[in-house]
Amino acid sequence: MSYAFTLNGRGVDVDVPGLTPLLEVLREHLGLTGAKPGCGEGRCGACTVLLDDQPVVSCLLPGSAVEGRSVRTVESLAGADGPLSPVQDALLDAGGVQCGACIPGMAMTLTAVLEQSRDLSEETVRQSLTGNICRCTGYQKIVDAALRAAGTDGGHR
Amino acid sequence: MTVVGTSVRRADGDAKVRGTAVYGMDYTEPCALVVRVLRSSVPAARITRLDTSRAEKIPGVRAVATAADTPGLSGMLVLKDQTVFARDEIRYVGEPIAAVAADTIEQADAAIAAIELEVDPLEPVYDLEASLADDARVIHPDWESYETFLDGPRGGNLAWEARVERGDVEAAFASAHLVVEDEYRTPRQHQCSIEPHAAVARYEQGRYIVHTPTQFPFLVRGRVAELLGVRPSDVRVVVPAIGGGFGGKLDAMLEPMACVLARKAGRPVRVVNSRAEEQATCGPRENAIVRLRTAVAKDGTILAQEGVILCDNGANSSGETVACANLAPLALGGTYRIPSARYVSKVVYTNTVPTAAFRGVNGNYCVFAQEMHLDHIARELGIDRRELRLRNVLKAGEQMVNGQQLDDAFLEQALAKADEIAPWEELTAARRPLRGVAVVPMTWITNPGPSGATVKLGEDGTVTVTCAAAEIGTGGVATGIRQIVADELGVPFEDVLVTPADTDAAGYDHGAQGSRTTFGTGSAALDAAAQVREQVLDVAGGMLEASPEDLELVDGHVGVVGVPGRRVSLAAVAATAMWSSGPISAAGKFVAPPVPFDAGCMVGAALTHFSAASYHAHLAEVEIDPDTGRVRVTRYVVVQDVGRAINPQMIEGQIQGGVAQGIGYALYENLRISDGVVVDSGLETYRLPTALDVPPIEIAILENPCSYGPLGAKGVAEPSIIPVAAVIGCAVADAIGTPLQSLPLTPFDVLAALRHRDQEISPRD
Repeated sequence: MSYAFTLNGRGVDVDVPGLTPLLEVLREHLGLTGAKPGCGEGRCGACTVLLDDQPVVSCLLPGSAVEGRSVRTVESLAGADGPLSPVQDALLDAGGVQCGACIPGMAMTLTAVLEQSRDLSEETVRQSLTGNICRCTGYQKIVDAALRAAGTDGGHR
Repeated sequence: MTVVGTSVRRADGDAKVRGTAVYGMDYTEPCALVVRVLRSSVPAARITRLDTSRAEKIPGVRAVATAADTPGLSGMLVLKDQTVFARDEIRYVGEPIAAVAADTIEQADAAIAAIELEVDPLEPVYDLEASLADDARVIHPDWESYETFLDGPRGGNLAWEARVERGDVEAAFASAHLVVEDEYRTPRQHQCSIEPHAAVARYEQGRYIVHTPTQFPFLVRGRVAELLGVRPSDVRVVVPAIGGGFGGKLDAMLEPMACVLARKAGRPVRVVNSRAEEQATCGPRENAIVRLRTAVAKDGTILAQEGVILCDNGANSSGETVACANLAPLALGGTYRIPSARYVSKVVYTNTVPTAAFRGVNGNYCVFAQEMHLDHIARELGIDRRELRLRNVLKAGEQMVNGQQLDDAFLEQALAKADEIAPWEELTAARRPLRGVAVVPMTWITNPGPSGATVKLGEDGTVTVTCAAAEIGTGGVATGIRQIVADELGVPFEDVLVTPADTDAAGYDHGAQGSRTTFGTGSAALDAAAQVREQVLDVAGGMLEASPEDLELVDGHVGVVGVPGRRVSLAAVAATAMWSSGPISAAGKFVAPPVPFDAGCMVGAALTHFSAASYHAHLAEVEIDPDTGRVRVTRYVVVQDVGRAINPQMIEGQIQGGVAQGIGYALYENLRISDGVVVDSGLETYRLPTALDVPPIEIAILENPCSYGPLGAKGVAEPSIIPVAAVIGCAVADAIGTPLQSLPLTPFDVLAALRHRDQEISPRD
């Protein structure tokens, strides 16, 4: 089926079977490989994107479900040759990136958290990350990055 | 200004946070075919008929490969008992039988369904002890014909044995004040890298070119060549970004299949595992049984120890389990003074998916067993648990069980530092019900393997390192090697580039394993950079009319010491060299030097000693929920000797990540197999630690330099996982008053132990 949605601020039309997962639509049909196919069953969160500003696992979401809605992927966080977003910057400053395969999903979850929360504590950040598995870092430096980003951009948009 | 010792940002980080880094799972080539693999659904059988002719005729099918296309036998370094596809006999559920390359997944699936396979089932063997019984069916009837890299005891279902024997064990047991005996059982643990295994291969000019996110490109090259029956130089391995490995991406896995399909199809092929394939067919840490029997004096001094370690090889030796067999005795006898010892480490064939390396390899379960066992001894003797360890821990100049003298042993210092952070006396005095605490020291190895690296000075004054080290996320390549080279040549960190690992371009490298990248490849790069430095000083000396001894390399320039402004840029040096002495470059090399040990005390040992040994202390506090049996780690302290801290932030990251994986091993992870079938086929039931399960970790980094490590550095990445299950296991036993002899420490086991304890202490009337 063909459907239209907003992807990283621009309108796109696709013509793929409606049940094709959004992750596959992004990676195979729209050339955006930032979101990662970590498990394909909605558990690891490496494929997390924002659907109308809410984190969702794109591997389980039928593509047609985003019709008429707004999707943001990790590629939207910074201009292609522009400076990094506060979350991206903080992830590197805090040493929160190792292999990096979870990072596109982590960055989207944290972006949503920072956009929506006024009071970020270590506990609330950890709560928000339970859907994002990182096998490398033990999470501490990713949590540090979130708190750091909350400081740099205020976290109060 | 120096960059070594600072927490510089990783050089590959920008692409990783933008989502533009190209991982193995992202990489592809024009018109690449898709692949499906026919895998066995039975654990043990004789193949009576395999016919792929119908499959080959399906539209869109470009190649079908079977054992007929892959003649070789191979194995991970030591024992060659593995084929790419089952040949005559099937030995585990999930074993590849055939593979198909096609234009579309649907066509490939149809082809798999059209392959005709008939088998005669054989009696499967699953259990370690049953497999070694005299009447067990032999899983590899041709075991005697297999080639081995060294001699070692083996036979029947005993794939390999490594033994260490020193001192007069019988006499020590005869004179002992007390003999304590225990048995411990540990499960399989899956690496669960976020990125599944993937490979893209093409066949060009009579050579196989494979892009794969491997930790050890030269191993994959050698293994593909051996399995396909070609020369290693007929295979080129190129490494894209790697989405996690932890040991699981050392060995050839999908690459041989991809290569043979690419040759037969005449087109590139791309194969990426699903999570279910990942869980069911990629070798995890081996399950094991550890039996310990120890003779002690009244004051707790260890007089002798006997240990039998049974660990599961699975159906063949494609993973590192055999190669690491002797790490079990070294782990048991590397931290404490054990004057007499007899350790037997048996690697056992079963009809299960082959096991493989996972961070800490055979050490994790041995350290768990040893520490739980020491607590048992402490209870029997009424000695404080930390005190018992202090009495037995190896001091500088004392010998490990293999006779290796540890001149730089730093275990007492590590324990003292842990005590500064979390004083044992206070912790134990403040004891409360359902809370427990433990502290554990440990010695560990840095992998001694060889590396080549070349360094060249670019015409713009930048420096490029060419090596086959793979950046698996630790920062070894993205920071460590770069920091070392930057300081040697006085250039900014950003001006040191490292080429992606490519076996055609770089010298041999022993892979990202055993914490060796910054240590081993870093040493080779430092060797090359030191030679480049000589060449630079020589040319610059001529330009500045100064003696090389009076020159310094700072900020991308060569200057005369003490004469500000009298300097030339490295770009100018490179340009001058170009037409005088020729372009500036040098090749460096490294292999860890031999250390003396008692070779006569070991048989079947591929790893004989601890090179660049590092020293550790871990402390944990836990709290038990009496209603659910849940264990919460409330405090965790790591003291780690790193030799020299090249990048403190990256070191912290390795410690935090290793402890998190260790918490998974201690409390949650158990890759269950039932009737030969992997039960935990996804991350819903295979429980990985989340952000809520891992406490903040208090870290102290100690610098106790290694004389042959680059700038004194030792390996950092591997050891932080190893003592975690031990220290948590001991702390849980302290909390509930009952030791649990198997991992993981599930809520069910904890509750059962609490109930048992309550029954014991309640009146019997």
